[in-house]
Amino acid sequence: MFMSSSQEWQVDVLDVAQKCVYCGYCSLCPTFKELKWENYHPRGILEQIKLYYSEGLKENQKADVSKSLFEAIFACTMCKACENVCIVDLPLLKVWEQIRQESFKRGRWNPQLLTLYNKIKSSYNIYGLPAEERVAWAALRNMVMTRRTQKQSPLAYFVGCQASYSGKMEGIAESVVKILRKAKLNFTILGTEEWCCGSPVFLAGGYSVGKTFAKHNLEQFKKLGVKRVVTACAGCYRAFKIVYPRILNDKWDIEVLHITELVNELLAEGKIKLKKKFKEKITFKDPCELVRHCGLIEAPREVIKQIPGVRFEELPSNREEALCCGGGGLLKLNDDELVNQVNSRLVSEIVYSEVDIVLNGCPTCLDTIKRSIKNQDLEIESIDIAEFIQRAMG
Amino acid sequence: MVLKKKTRLRFIRYLGKHFRDDKTTLHIYSRDMAELPPLTKIMFQSTPDAVILPKTVEDIQRIYQLANETNVPITLRSGGTAGFGGAISYKKGIVVDGKGIESEIFVEPLEQSVTSGPSMIFSDMQRILKLQGFSLCAFPSSYYSATIGGWISHGGYGVGSSQYGGALDQILALDVVLPNGEMKTYTEKEDISLFVGSNGTLGMITNIKLKIKFDIPLKQWGCTFDSPTELMQGLKELSDLNTFSVWFFDPSHVMQFNDSFGFALPYRYVAIVSKEISYEEEESEFHSSFNQAIRKAGGQILDKRYISNIWDFRFKTFSMLKNYEDFLVSEVILPIETSAKYVQKLKARFNKDLHVEGEMISDSHYSLLLFIPLKERISSLKRTILYLRLMGATLKGLKCGGYPYSTGMWFASYYHKIYGKEQFKRYREFKKSVDVNNIGNPGKVVSPKLRIFPIISMKTAIKLVSRLL
Repeated sequence: MFMSSSQEWQVDVLDVAQKCVYCGYCSLCPTFKELKWENYHPRGILEQIKLYYSEGLKENQKADVSKSLFEAIFACTMCKACENVCIVDLPLLKVWEQIRQESFKRGRWNPQLLTLYNKIKSSYNIYGLPAEERVAWAALRNMVMTRRTQKQSPLAYFVGCQASYSGKMEGIAESVVKILRKAKLNFTILGTEEWCCGSPVFLAGGYSVGKTFAKHNLEQFKKLGVKRVVTACAGCYRAFKIVYPRILNDKWDIEVLHITELVNELLAEGKIKLKKKFKEKITFKDPCELVRHCGLIEAPREVIKQIPGVRFEELPSNREEALCCGGGGLLKLNDDELVNQVNSRLVSEIVYSEVDIVLNGCPTCLDTIKRSIKNQDLEIESIDIAEFIQRAMG
Repeated sequence: MVLKKKTRLRFIRYLGKHFRDDKTTLHIYSRDMAELPPLTKIMFQSTPDAVILPKTVEDIQRIYQLANETNVPITLRSGGTAGFGGAISYKKGIVVDGKGIESEIFVEPLEQSVTSGPSMIFSDMQRILKLQGFSLCAFPSSYYSATIGGWISHGGYGVGSSQYGGALDQILALDVVLPNGEMKTYTEKEDISLFVGSNGTLGMITNIKLKIKFDIPLKQWGCTFDSPTELMQGLKELSDLNTFSVWFFDPSHVMQFNDSFGFALPYRYVAIVSKEISYEEEESEFHSSFNQAIRKAGGQILDKRYISNIWDFRFKTFSMLKNYEDFLVSEVILPIETSAKYVQKLKARFNKDLHVEGEMISDSHYSLLLFIPLKERISSLKRTILYLRLMGATLKGLKCGGYPYSTGMWFASYYHKIYGKEQFKRYREFKKSVDVNNIGNPGKVVSPKLRIFPIISMKTAIKLVSRLL
């Protein structure tokens, strides 16, 4: 049984399941809202956990419950809405992570998940592309990053797999670098030595493998004398902020910043200015990994407020209550159709707000929202907040 | 009863992936908020044979048609957030989960009404209404999880009922698929009243039109009382003030409330009064009426600092249970006039083990939630005994003119106590006319015979056992 462990961030999953008061407040789960079966309801998953770990369960019953339980656990977007709303404060995210680990142990990952896992393990990025291409985004944007790569510096920009390799996300890396250059900051990037932060592996429950990624990235930061790391990816931010301290303990002593936090600092110090005016009405989609996982709520808003004459409109569900985009928790690998279903609720809120631009703080949100906007042929622009800041700098 | 192979196939052929009968799904759907003590499984066959998640009205009509042809009981379920067993099978059969029915919300500002499907959760609907400057009139304390359809079937009351009434007073129209498969729309209060508290025995509600109101800000006042008698006197005085909500708890509950939410309320009977306030003069006017009423009842006014932000915790009562391993819960509706002694006796009987929390639901009645939080897990036998004791205590409220909050499984056959004999007669006649095979949630509303000793009714058995304990 996967029970209490010496590692303090692990929980006794059965004990947690037994403490559920079955109030159903976690009905706000985006997956459950779409699939409707109580098997996918967080309280239903806890009920299955109780059954899975119950003594004297026959083999065929165990097979039945594990099938249903593992299917439900991988339909979860890990948005943490259930944990935030839980009135008895159950550490649900830890439970979901541990059940994913249990699924890994039992060899019950689906083939797409295994493929991703193998790609990350062999090439250190989520796309399975060569490490040499990590900085290709710079060349494609006519930027020279040679002098910034693997340089001794107190600040590192961790680009992340999506901004490094995805053609749809290259603008993010370019914008962050332009912001840092404009502020004349001494910064470095890890270049070919940047490994995936491990977030997808952690989300899938593969902690032992994820740990090697964390160790490697820490070694690289230490080698370059990095004291602070900035990222524009909510997944990387969460990994550095929440997971690395868990698995590396005191060894992880690096300050982690989201790009909006750094920009706020730079604005306060007068190192950059937001000069350009925008006619468009804009909104910000709070990424689950920033707001609910890490509690980063105000930094993006503070940046946006400093744009002269900005017309900012909150989405009806915002801050801790923000809707999930559907792309989290590796759901794309398990059920792409469900991602679209979950995303459609968010997009209907965006449409209701009558905004022209949706700002994002997470490449996954950006990707899923862009996809829905395109599918529905909407006249709304979806961009990363780093790109918007760069535009506002003029 | 286990679904016959042929019957199962007929359902599957029609419903496909919306039909499930794997053991895990059946297990999940065998409970509602209150987990049935294992020993009570002798009395109830709460694990269904199958669960169906219909998408359309046509699906429901077809399900009833097939159920009638094959004589399979149909238990309707929505949020599954009550603890009376109304959404649990009594003798297996099929659970039909209404959450699958797709529906759109339609707000009619001029008529001040909202139309939606039955599986809409109160907090979701309220959020949509608030965006347009409107609000629901009344909602249950399980606001974040209860569905509107479930609340109606349950005979719901809640926060706001003291001013706007219960479920029946909110409904303008209901679309229902009757157990004979017929689809009907009801707009007359007399007809609608049959479905309120019917626990899904009269068919499935598929569309609901509710009254709404302007979203007027709520302000809170607090007061304390030294005894249940004083508290009841206070409630009586408050009933004249047209308050939106009067929420109160006993000293044991106050202690827990303070610990859980960081308040410093005095260890007495505390009442929190909510009032819709549109303008300043209204506030000062109410303030003086409130002070007068509380003083007249022998209570004390609580300084506003004690209750600052207290309304944020109105729907979080259960979070107090995080310090416990298990809990038991029941609910009863009591008359303000005659129930002081009952509450006093109840507290004496269970000592500090019992916490009570109440909400005024009309000028003359209030609902009382009875909690027994358990510091450690107890054996199945002890849990069953304690559960039956709690049920017994709930039923004792009948002596002072009270009645169970809902019939469900535990209080089947108390329908006449809740809604009156005349209404029960109407209910039976209607039930006979629309459900000749009695497939609509049997075992609820009308007490069934005990499965293991079929000459005794469930009602008598529960009464006898709880009295013995």
